[in-house]
Amino acid sequence: MLEIQKITKVYNAGTVTENRLFSDFSLTVDDGQFVSVVGGNGSGKTSLLNIICGTIPAESGDVLVDGQSISRQKDYQRCASMGRVYQNPALGTCPNLTMLENLSLADNKGRPFGLSRGVSKTRGAYFREQLAALGLGLEDKLNVKMGSLSGGQRQAVALLMATLTPLRFLILDEHTAALDPKTAEIIMALTDRIVREKRLTAVMVTHNLRYAAEYGDRILMLDRGRIVLDRAGQEKRDTSAEELFQLFSRAALDCG
Amino acid sequence: MLDLVISTVTQGLIYALISFGVYIIYSILDFPDLSVDGSFPLGAAVTAVLLTRGVNPYLTLPAAIAAGALAGLSTGLIHVKLHVRDLLAGIITMTALFSINLQIAGSNLTVERATDTIFTAEPTMAVFGGLSLLGRKLAVAFLLTLAVKLGLDAYLRTKSGLLLRAVGDNGTLVTALARDRGSVKILGLTLSNALVALAGCVVCHEQRSFSATMGTGQVVFGLATVIIGVTLFRRLRFVRGTTAVIVGSILYKTCIQVAISLGLPANLLKLITALLFLLVLVLSGRKGEEIIHA
Amino acid sequence: MMKTLKTIAAALLALAMSASLAACGAGAPAASSAAVSTSSSSAASGDTPVIGISQYGEHPSLDNCREGFLEGLKEAGLTEGTDFTLDYQNAGFDDSVATQIAQKFSAEDTALMCAIATPSAVACYAAAEDKDIPVIFTAITDPEAAGLTAGNVTGTSDKLPVEAQLELIRNIQPDAKTIGIVYTTSEPNSVSSIAEYQAKAGSYNFTIDAVGVTAQSEVTQAVDKLIGDGVDCLSNLTDNNVVGVLSSVLEKTNEAGIPVYGSEVEQVKNGCVAAAGIDYYQLGIQTGAMAAQVLTGKKTCDDIPYETISEYGTYVNSQSLAALHMTLPAAVSQKATEASKA
Repeated sequence: MLEIQKITKVYNAGTVTENRLFSDFSLTVDDGQFVSVVGGNGSGKTSLLNIICGTIPAESGDVLVDGQSISRQKDYQRCASMGRVYQNPALGTCPNLTMLENLSLADNKGRPFGLSRGVSKTRGAYFREQLAALGLGLEDKLNVKMGSLSGGQRQAVALLMATLTPLRFLILDEHTAALDPKTAEIIMALTDRIVREKRLTAVMVTHNLRYAAEYGDRILMLDRGRIVLDRAGQEKRDTSAEELFQLFSRAALDCG
Repeated sequence: MLDLVISTVTQGLIYALISFGVYIIYSILDFPDLSVDGSFPLGAAVTAVLLTRGVNPYLTLPAAIAAGALAGLSTGLIHVKLHVRDLLAGIITMTALFSINLQIAGSNLTVERATDTIFTAEPTMAVFGGLSLLGRKLAVAFLLTLAVKLGLDAYLRTKSGLLLRAVGDNGTLVTALARDRGSVKILGLTLSNALVALAGCVVCHEQRSFSATMGTGQVVFGLATVIIGVTLFRRLRFVRGTTAVIVGSILYKTCIQVAISLGLPANLLKLITALLFLLVLVLSGRKGEEIIHA
Repeated sequence: MMKTLKTIAAALLALAMSASLAACGAGAPAASSAAVSTSSSSAASGDTPVIGISQYGEHPSLDNCREGFLEGLKEAGLTEGTDFTLDYQNAGFDDSVATQIAQKFSAEDTALMCAIATPSAVACYAAAEDKDIPVIFTAITDPEAAGLTAGNVTGTSDKLPVEAQLELIRNIQPDAKTIGIVYTTSEPNSVSSIAEYQAKAGSYNFTIDAVGVTAQSEVTQAVDKLIGDGVDCLSNLTDNNVVGVLSSVLEKTNEAGIPVYGSEVEQVKNGCVAAAGIDYYQLGIQTGAMAAQVLTGKKTCDDIPYETISEYGTYVNSQSLAALHMTLPAAVSQKATEASKA
């Protein structure tokens, strides 16, 4: 279970541009939930992710995993139990290493990076299997450098890499936003399948209200650091994309 | 002239150790580390002092490696823990080392002919005694550089080596793998400066001297040889980066020897070298905008 | 296709250079330029012996040494072309180039290596070991510290006549107490000289205020510090960095009314008030004489211990003295040579 307790986040404190984004913000995500987070620009979606992952600090408040505070942990330490896929496909893989090398790295997450062979001879078949399951024909490209693949292909591999080893939470940071509509569909479907198959707890930030409506079992709408909508279960399933859009526009109008 | 070719190739092989170090820093880690200009003479200073004190010549190799490792470690710590920019961290170490080297060995230190070096000590003589001194230098340098090259190649294929390659290629991934980018960088810097100091050690054995200014321009040398080597062999996938930089180093030393032999004015040597890089880069179809990765 | 061709072209270029290296070694004529280096080499023994001159860099004192060396050979009765040929190389103040020059000499079986300045000498000494080629050095202040005393090596030392300089200063400035000296901490010659100054200064009732620098750009700041310390005069060593910016140094000291004593005649010509210094040309001649003896087989290096210059000259610059309202006592002006720019 992921808990965010009474987080306060202030940007540019004490200056003319001071922005009190979060004040006593709290949120609980149960195990196995797939949460979509939507909101306009400046609503705090990405800041929320960054605070969870430890990329930025919060002024006060706590982040807890299963009741244990992780606020003191550095970003890389938190990554031990979290996977993250970024909006920029280039951030998920190493462009000058081959797909096999990238996967080997991801495969070793959680274990020491010592002097044993980097690319295991025995795991090749397993990787091919996993890649084939993505349905994108990537299983033949194991020895290709990641940099020469398309954004969609890299993002698919990034998604696979993020979920290769056991993890508690999957953080998806607008991970389809930089892809063309067709590829975005593929990646989104892939995401859904992986989350359900591996029974992951996922937090997905997205601009796409249709994805928010169609996928996941809970939807949060943020507006200037406050939760203005929180629907789960049947209520969420009954919410259509159009309704979301109307709620979204109203929130935008309210703040003028 | 066989002798001249032998001595030039020997120089190229010895200085290739610097190229290995710079290869790791620039090509793999993507970190502009100027401490190379300080760790090269550091290796030589430590070696010169130990040799004049009668220490077993072979022991100077691990000693120099350890000294270089410390230098790289300090650059890494300054950069990672004290959050100093990469370029500046290297400059700080390089500047500090200038004084440290002076403290260790004075402004210059010569090793007498009577003192044994790795080229003249008994174990070497036992194997290569039949060769002239020139031949011995080539043989020992070749074996040493080959050993380091193979070791480096093997290391880069390990998990640790792979992680090192990742940190220079996409540091975000390293964080995502729950590893500390800073620690990985520190490891890389330690390794590369250790290699550069080893180069200084072998040069001291070969030249029988240490001079406080011998480090000046070595980082430029390293960069040049890495660029030349990697650019030349970019199309030939089966040639590893480590082999390419050895060729780059030999090529560089050859250019200088050609310039000397042609009787060209010494002042023009640097210009000629610069023109050479330009030629190599243009002919290989690259403008050298980015360092080619491993 | 084009790219592969280009790679091949680049590799061929590399190969061509290596080949030209071999060709040059076999005696291709040199492309000589406006005056700096000449190269003519003979490959096989039995031809005229080659003398390899390795000069560390272009510098008036070092150039004077070289000229003197050639004169010294002439005075010993050897003629260039018949009795020997020359291979002059200049390392441009780069240590690794000096190494490669020395290796070239060794590879080409030169009969004798003449090395001008410490880094070139050390490089020649190392490269000469293989074939035991004699090395004659010059312009090295402390050959012992440089490790150049044993084993087929000898030469001349430009050790400063420190005592003579101290005496000169004492004579011209009877009331002076402190002498300021700027020196480069990484130049071995300077380090040795400073030590000697500090050892001998006491007997002339002087204290030495020495400031170490690491680069030429720091010299003027060091001079500022000395002026601020209130030194009575400055004295120069044969420090390349200081001598290189002498005019800037003199600008500051003249404004502050402090005289600067040089270490050799060129510096006095350029504005120093006086110097008890050695003549590098003479030093070169002495070196040439030694080389001639070794070359003709009359003596070996082991027979000849290194020499320091026995005579020194006293040079004064009346214009500089006048500008600082200083006069020369009779004792000095009697044996001094005027050395000012006409």
